[in-house]
Amino acid sequence: MKAIIATTVFGVIMMFAGLWVNDKKSIAGLATFLFAALLGVTIWDLTTTSVNSPKSLFNDMLRSEHYSLWFNTIMTGCSLLYVLLMGKEVQKVGKYVSEYFALIFFILCGLYLLSMYNNLLMMFIGIEILSIPQYILAGSDKRNLKSSEASLKYFLMGAFSTGILLMGITLLYGAARTFNITEMVTLMHSDALNPLALAGILFIMIAFSFKVSAAPMHMWTPDVYDGSPTVFTAFMATVVKSAAFFAFLRLFQVSFNSLSEHWVMVLAIITAATLLVGNVTAVFQQSVKRMLAYSSIAQAGFMLFAVLAVNAVAWQGIIIYAVAYSVATIGIFAVLVKLKDYTYDGFNGLAQREPLLAFVTTIFLFSLAGIPLTGGFMAKYYVLLAVVQQGQLMWLVIFALLMAAISVYYYFRVIIAMYFKAGTPEISSPVTGGDKFMLVVTCALVILLGVLPQLFLTKV
Amino acid sequence: MELYDILFWVLSAIAVSCALGVILSRNPVNSVLFLILTFFAISGHYVLMNAQFLAIVNIIVYAGAIMVLFLFVIMLMNLNADVEPQKGQLVQLAGVISGGILFLVVLASIKTAKAEIMDKTSTDIGLISNLGKVLFKEYVLPFEISSVLFLSAMIGAIVIGKKEEVKTSATAKMEHVSE
Repeated sequence: MKAIIATTVFGVIMMFAGLWVNDKKSIAGLATFLFAALLGVTIWDLTTTSVNSPKSLFNDMLRSEHYSLWFNTIMTGCSLLYVLLMGKEVQKVGKYVSEYFALIFFILCGLYLLSMYNNLLMMFIGIEILSIPQYILAGSDKRNLKSSEASLKYFLMGAFSTGILLMGITLLYGAARTFNITEMVTLMHSDALNPLALAGILFIMIAFSFKVSAAPMHMWTPDVYDGSPTVFTAFMATVVKSAAFFAFLRLFQVSFNSLSEHWVMVLAIITAATLLVGNVTAVFQQSVKRMLAYSSIAQAGFMLFAVLAVNAVAWQGIIIYAVAYSVATIGIFAVLVKLKDYTYDGFNGLAQREPLLAFVTTIFLFSLAGIPLTGGFMAKYYVLLAVVQQGQLMWLVIFALLMAAISVYYYFRVIIAMYFKAGTPEISSPVTGGDKFMLVVTCALVILLGVLPQLFLTKV
Repeated sequence: MELYDILFWVLSAIAVSCALGVILSRNPVNSVLFLILTFFAISGHYVLMNAQFLAIVNIIVYAGAIMVLFLFVIMLMNLNADVEPQKGQLVQLAGVISGGILFLVVLASIKTAKAEIMDKTSTDIGLISNLGKVLFKEYVLPFEISSVLFLSAMIGAIVIGKKEEVKTSATAKMEHVSE
């Protein structure tokens, strides 16, 4: 709860900072300081809550379980990493730097709501607070037509999926006659299942699949991620997506666990389609930014495994996947914004010009592909373990492994371009010592995740 | 048949037929007008459920403010001719099939659902004093936290709506120095 108040206040402070501080650099500095403070507040929240007794807040609107607070802390840490790596690039997007940071603080407010909600109403508000700042950030580069297109497309599709979500909530309320997701369990259990609830679950599943860009609802992702300013794509594809997944898992794990026989097959087909579409289409991309958009669809397929497996390992899986995927993707985007040319050819010969940049990019790509000793491997291991323990969907696990093999192809194309092709990559902004230090720290985090994943799971 | 039932069925018929009119009419202006009528019919339903405040708010905010704004925008954009782009046959067919399947699922679930008759005498939750109490007691958190949502929407209006100054040589030089 403290974190929600803090992030809102920090967002307002950023808005006022735009009024009084004219220097873009000090605004970014202030934002970095506030993100560090926010991380402190989330840790304070975490340490003051006992592990075994979740606190219910405001008539059970929110429930601060320990894993929710742990997720909040980790995601705030990722946001801090994001600002440290890319705070400089945010300044270049447009005029309203302090407003961009304020919007990122508000997105984090939505994230905290989504990790702690215990009421469908809070879930809805959380999703909206998460989405609306994103529509704005997508269109923040006003001189670029593609950015405006991305914003409009995202807004229209997002509004449509919100409508579907509301319809689902309505049907669910009609069946259970409560918005409270823990009370709902007993009511849906008690007598013969109300078919309205099943229709509601279907609608909510579709809406969430849209938010996390799962396959039949993924059409917006490449255009939006490609069109938005690269710095904001990095945030959308990582922290925001993880938050949507956590909310997805929370609802389906807490409320619909006992009904899993009805919806698991539908979600399994969505997962298979997501893996197939994401990986196969990524192979044919020419731009690395667009490839990363498709790769984020493919990674969403893996994260859906955590939702599919209705057991305790799923929580560990989603947290470790969220952090491993976020850290590696933020790292790659931090390298990408330094380059002028986003095609594969733009990476040609990077190893000669900037050996360190090329090396950390290689590690990040290893992690996304799921090579052992990197975070991505452990993440894939945990989500697949969750489904294996559940024991019904072995065909899907095998299919996912096959798709992971395909993903190696397009991730390694970047590595091949960097190390084995000659060329002179154009760097848009100079790589300072600070940048290099942060990239090495990020790289160390990725390897730490792969070697000691328990470090990130002690609190689950 | 009581008066209540007659009113209910008449209002429902108006609401459903106007909602169909929204999606079936080719002219966007007609669509908006049909939507306003639908809102009025739904407001009638709110009154039947003893929720007068909601009914009035629905008319003032939706039918009054938002839809009139809509109408202005459509008229300004001069969309009154049927200029909507035509989709290919295959897309139309796919849309009809998938939409039809969804319709079937929802229809089946509603048909087999246990419909419970609302007790229309005891619901005074919609009266304004009760609504206020509920809003500030049980639902105080969502009520307050929506302010974050509106704040970010307002920032959006400024960030997207405000004119960005064209880079003059002076500001460009300043940025160069600061970099």
